[in-house]
Amino acid sequence: MGGIWVVGEVDGAGDLTKLSCEAATAARLLGDAAKLDVRGVVVAAEPDAAAANMTAFLPVVIAVRAPEALERPAAAVVAARVAALAGAAAEPPAYVVVGATLDGRDLAGALAALLGVGILVGATGLAWADAADGLPAGPRVEMQPFGGRVVTTSAFTGERGIILLRPNMVAAEPLAAPGRVEAAATQAIVDPAPVRVVERVVTQSTGPAIEDARVIVAGGRGVGGPDGFSGLADLAGLLGGAVGATRAAVDAGWVDYAIQIGQTGKTVKPAVYLAFGVSGAIQHKVGMQTSEIIVAVNRDADAPIGEFADLFVVADLAAVVPALASALRARAG
Amino acid sequence: MRIVVLVKPVPDPGEERLGADGRLDRSVSAVINGNDEYVLEAALQLIDANGGDVTLLSMAPAGITDPIRKALAMGATRAVLVSDPALAGACAWSTAQVLAAALQTLEYDLVLVGADTSDGGGGVVGAAVATLLHRPYLSHARKIEPFEGGVRVERLSASGHDVLEAALPAVVGGTQLLGEPRYPTLRGIMGARSKEIAIRTLAEIGLADRAVGGAHATTALLDARPPASRGSTRVVRGADPAAAAAAIVDFLVERRAI
Amino acid sequence: MTAAPALGRLTDDQRAIRDAVRTLARERVAPRAAEIDRSATFPEDLRALLAEQGILGLPFPERFGGLGADLLTVCLAIEALSAACATTGLILAIQELGALPLLLAGTEEQLERFVPGLAAGRDLVAFALTEADAGSDAAAVRTRAIRDGESYVVSGAKRFISHGSVAHLVIVFAVTDPEADRRCRISAFVVETDSPGFSVSRLEHKMGIRGSPTAELAFDEVRVPIANRIGAEGDGFDLAMRTLDRSRPGIAAQAVGIAQGALDAAAAYAGQRRQFGRAIGEFQLVQGLLADMDARTEAARQLLYTACDEIERGAPDAGRWSALCKLVAGDAAMAVTTDAVQVFGGYGYLDDFPVERMMRDAKITQLYEGTQQIQRLVIARALLARNA
Repeated sequence: MGGIWVVGEVDGAGDLTKLSCEAATAARLLGDAAKLDVRGVVVAAEPDAAAANMTAFLPVVIAVRAPEALERPAAAVVAARVAALAGAAAEPPAYVVVGATLDGRDLAGALAALLGVGILVGATGLAWADAADGLPAGPRVEMQPFGGRVVTTSAFTGERGIILLRPNMVAAEPLAAPGRVEAAATQAIVDPAPVRVVERVVTQSTGPAIEDARVIVAGGRGVGGPDGFSGLADLAGLLGGAVGATRAAVDAGWVDYAIQIGQTGKTVKPAVYLAFGVSGAIQHKVGMQTSEIIVAVNRDADAPIGEFADLFVVADLAAVVPALASALRARAG
Repeated sequence: MRIVVLVKPVPDPGEERLGADGRLDRSVSAVINGNDEYVLEAALQLIDANGGDVTLLSMAPAGITDPIRKALAMGATRAVLVSDPALAGACAWSTAQVLAAALQTLEYDLVLVGADTSDGGGGVVGAAVATLLHRPYLSHARKIEPFEGGVRVERLSASGHDVLEAALPAVVGGTQLLGEPRYPTLRGIMGARSKEIAIRTLAEIGLADRAVGGAHATTALLDARPPASRGSTRVVRGADPAAAAAAIVDFLVERRAI
Repeated sequence: MTAAPALGRLTDDQRAIRDAVRTLARERVAPRAAEIDRSATFPEDLRALLAEQGILGLPFPERFGGLGADLLTVCLAIEALSAACATTGLILAIQELGALPLLLAGTEEQLERFVPGLAAGRDLVAFALTEADAGSDAAAVRTRAIRDGESYVVSGAKRFISHGSVAHLVIVFAVTDPEADRRCRISAFVVETDSPGFSVSRLEHKMGIRGSPTAELAFDEVRVPIANRIGAEGDGFDLAMRTLDRSRPGIAAQAVGIAQGALDAAAAYAGQRRQFGRAIGEFQLVQGLLADMDARTEAARQLLYTACDEIERGAPDAGRWSALCKLVAGDAAMAVTTDAVQVFGGYGYLDDFPVERMMRDAKITQLYEGTQQIQRLVIARALLARNA
């Protein structure tokens, strides 16, 4: 049987993303249990740095230089190169693990079409199981659809598939001794349907990406305006976390859509979710209800968030936010 | 402009249930997937400005027409529904093949697809469909601007946005940032009654003997269970700000979060 | 529109329209309701929304840009809006009331002149029959319309006129022949509110529907062209009564909506409020209240829908149906909202919760478009006439 491949994602600075480190770890643990070979694949215009990063987690990482990636969206380029690599390999991979980012989803969809295999999206846990109940030995993938209202376990009916892994589900664990990079050459792919990147616009972004954050300090309608969010940013800084927001705050123009959490925004699972002025309506709840610890501060004692938070403080956030910042500074100082 | 919008009827968010057979319970009242409404709105704005028509394309059981009627009431021109008993329990890979095959029977300049679906779909179908059709795929759009023979898209990225261009026909994936979907006007609702919903079987889109549908699902659900209970909520009331802050810090320390 | 449905069943169109208005009511109207009541301000933004969505076009013929909806469909929309906000439901109800004299007796020329603006929801129309000394005794109105060349000169005052201060058109019932029999003295006129001599002399401060402006209108020798008289001279009283026969179901719909809104709020509260270690909805006395509220609301609703069908079909006893549904629905709304406050207990008395507003809103449905006492007279007379 073919082994497990992990396709690494490269960030703006050319390094491997945190989620890809987690995906590599998850795949390695799976490979250990399955007794399957695991290798990493990094495709980029300049893959070397990220491939080197990935060797901390996997014994073999294949670096593919793809100059066309400079002018094309990454996913289509990576999918084409990975499919070519799989086609040229002595044994094509049985399973491919990809981080569930915007690019990761595009990659998984394209790769599924190129390889003709199925996809399990949004894995929150990965394990290996022997053949049973008419299913072959293979990965058993835990997911939490419907905004986390139900926890499911799924498998592939055949012996191949693509798995998209959600951030923060598996802790990245380096190997005792790092692996090695192998360069691989694949043919430059003639793209039948090219998309050209005309411009890359970078807007502000400091601190961890929200899906990767261990702590999220989120604000809702009750924050009242962009000034209130700077208080939350202060708290986030003190806790080493990221600022998040509900749809109401985004629609009001106080914060960017990139930090919107909920049904039409991001789904997060931080260790700590601190919610200020967030009502906890279903559209937001589905994006954060699997957080390990939820603390909510709201003036409204009947806010729905009070029903599923671990700690619910009925108080005016305008006073509590600075008080909490002081208390945290006092602890540190 | 001839635009096809891929729409998926899903259970009302919050009402989703799995049936005894492990499949999504389709008897729960259905709505159009929330994310699809944004791309439908974008399509309607494009034809408001440039003329043309909007065809809805969906793969769903034949009886589920209410959400399609609502989308027609918003202003779409017609709908094509691929419906076949064999498709019950189809996986994302089957879905992509079916939609691609259906698109090959239609004429279009642009195919619009929403981000992920509220019933557990992963937002991968758009990429798969575009790849099968050998069409450019411009995803996660916050702005869509067609021009002569092509389309320009502002695509969300981890650090801001990228500006992409491709020739038509193309597949574009959208996001919430495309703008709030309009309410169907009452006139639209009454007009929707006379708009066409064409039903197509697998045979009619050329997939009669292909391995698609529930019997060929590439994935299987083994188990579904409610999540571990969170436990009860500790409530703090009537505390002054300093005491409230202290209660939060103590709680986080107690739970070893800080 | 499709043919009237079998009793108690809605057509697909009616269901779709009802559901669409419910969605709009829940998402856009309900969040505004408390503030509309607190500030007693006419919700112009919601008027614009209803116009844009075509809801204000429901009662009007398609050839003038309306949706040509039947009475039941209009009532479904009023009911759905009123469940969220009685003031907003009233916008559609008054638009229908005010336009009915034109729709029932206007010439094609008058319809072409006035209805497109009404159907677009751009122009609002008010119904001005009541005066300080002529409420239930509507025939006793004293506003005068004196013929002078190609116009009438209208002088007098009208009281308790819903939308009187925001309307572009007011249908005024004035005396044209003081010597004639009570029922032949009055004529109906379309008065455009930008006419010289027309003014709003007073706005009432009310118990409920506080966002709906209720005005006293003064007519100081307002010149009204003959072409604005609806029907022949002397037709006014009869036209007013025929109008009310058709418009009363709209008030019944408002009442059913208010009752349903209160019932939903009370049922939700009963499921959440805990006393003695249980949700109060588990206690039989509370269940009894809720059950009676549901029964009364549903009974009023079903009677309303039947009445709409009968009136739409042209039943000869339309007046009886109209009075029955308004009588039952108005009393149901008052009872159900009062019980809703009871379910909430002390909290129901606070404006933090919507039920005290709904109770204040409900009362008017027992008073306007004919008091409950007038409805009883109409019903009794019809009954006795049948059995004479």
